[in-house]
Amino acid sequence: MLRSIFAKTLRDRRRGLLWWGAGVVLLVAWTVGFYPSIRGSAGEYSRILEQMPEALRELFLAQGADLSSPRGYLSIELFSFMVPILFLVYGIGFGARTVAGEEQEGSLDLLLSNPVSRRRVLAEKLAAMLAALAILGGVLWVGLAAGSAIVDLDVPLSDLGSAAVSVVLLGWAFGAIALALGAATGRRALAVGITSALAVGSYLLNGVAAAVEALDPFRVASPFYWYFGGDPLANGLSLPHAGLLIALLGAAVLPGLAAFDRRDLAT
Amino acid sequence: MRPAIRLQGLTKLYGATLGVEGLNLEVATGEVFGFLGPNGAGKTTTIRLLMDLLRPTAGTLSVLGLDPRRDGVELRRRVGYLPGELALYEDLTAEELLRYFGALRGGASPFVRSLAERLDLDLTRRIGSLSQGNKRKVGLVAAMMHDPELLILDEPTAGLDPLVQAEFHRLIEELRARGRTVFLSSHNLPEVERVCDRVGVIRKGRLAAIEDVGELHARALREIEIHFAGPVPAERFSRLPGVREAVAEGDLLRLRVEGSLDLVIKEAAAHTVVNVSTREPGLEEIFLAFYGKADRDAA
Repeated sequence: MLRSIFAKTLRDRRRGLLWWGAGVVLLVAWTVGFYPSIRGSAGEYSRILEQMPEALRELFLAQGADLSSPRGYLSIELFSFMVPILFLVYGIGFGARTVAGEEQEGSLDLLLSNPVSRRRVLAEKLAAMLAALAILGGVLWVGLAAGSAIVDLDVPLSDLGSAAVSVVLLGWAFGAIALALGAATGRRALAVGITSALAVGSYLLNGVAAAVEALDPFRVASPFYWYFGGDPLANGLSLPHAGLLIALLGAAVLPGLAAFDRRDLAT
Repeated sequence: MRPAIRLQGLTKLYGATLGVEGLNLEVATGEVFGFLGPNGAGKTTTIRLLMDLLRPTAGTLSVLGLDPRRDGVELRRRVGYLPGELALYEDLTAEELLRYFGALRGGASPFVRSLAERLDLDLTRRIGSLSQGNKRKVGLVAAMMHDPELLILDEPTAGLDPLVQAEFHRLIEELRARGRTVFLSSHNLPEVERVCDRVGVIRKGRLAAIEDVGELHARALREIEIHFAGPVPAERFSRLPGVREAVAEGDLLRLRVEGSLDLVIKEAAAHTVVNVSTREPGLEEIFLAFYGKADRDAA
């Protein structure tokens, strides 16, 4: 486990990853486990939803989601809020900690006394973060698949997989922003703060723009829209949206790398 | 032979505050060079510039004939480095950390065991549970395990007990004998005197002097107190060459002498001496000698 920076970085996070994985499994089990009791009275829930003001419904819930269908239920209960939050918090925390955190703890000096370039340090740590989020996504997918088999959700594995991939991509993009900001500034708290603000802004833009007609054209600019606007649970992964999330990752990492390569490192 | 380290007009500013300014220095291959100065003088800044952790504001530097910025990876393959503020991975054992760094260096490091043995370091303990001195040993082994051409050590013996310090000095001697180059910073004069060939004295970011170690000692100001059987006029001593200050208080004479004490002792021998006490010059006295001289030159 100590043969490369990539392996060492993952190893350092193994316990955390275990807990986050357990959290994802619990969340899925809890949510899916409630589905049978809701399925029977879905009509009632839908009526309650319909009585909510349109704007509120748009803001907090997935678009056009129907609580009575398994897809609608998963969209509203998991993918509109809780699951992306888990992936974002994990990705942002990992990204900010892995470079800026190591710099602030002081061990980056020693790591960089080895014959490795700063670019390689950043690339391997980025790869470790992407891998950790992918593992978490795999856990989510397996959990959903198992839960769906047990309570008979009748959503194809491929659609569950599309949704899982989509949330992994969202985590990748914001994790990469946090990593890049941390690498560029050497300040972990700043990287967490700015990236979280961007994520919240993106979430609100997606929700508000859906509800307020004047803002609707801007909705397509929200990474949250790229994440679930195409409803991957029903339609499969939207390649343009996936591409935009990957592009966001790249657009964050490249300048972060350049800044990291150029600047003085703190003791 | 090309120098192992060459600095030309090396300057590092942190915003408006000065790190180091206009450093010119050549360290020959095979030399053990001491970088002496009080905390905050710019020792660590210079060393981190050599290691490409900082980038110079102005001036050039070359290490083993390489540009740290452009050829950093190749350079670090051939250099061993001990940071001044050493932070290690506390959750690893020393052995795991050294294996990790060995892997980053492309394979096993045959010297780890013998180095750990000589420095009396238990490789199996978690680094987090080690004392400061033992952590320093882990850093020393990490710096030396690939038998680098050039060792750059920032305060290598800080926190080490005297026995281990002595072993470390022997290690440096062996490296010198094998033609390795060592650049070490210290604020400990006896250590520098003991292991180094030449010393650069840095103060407030500027290189105040580069001296042979012997020269440094010869120039140092010593304090000496001579207790006579009766009063002796201070003037008899203050006119001697090298005596910078002579104060008589009754039977007691206090002197500050630059360089050799020979003439003072000979003069004192003309009187009845009850007791003599001297104090080894500390770093401050050395600086005083240098800056005292600099002031005279300027005047």
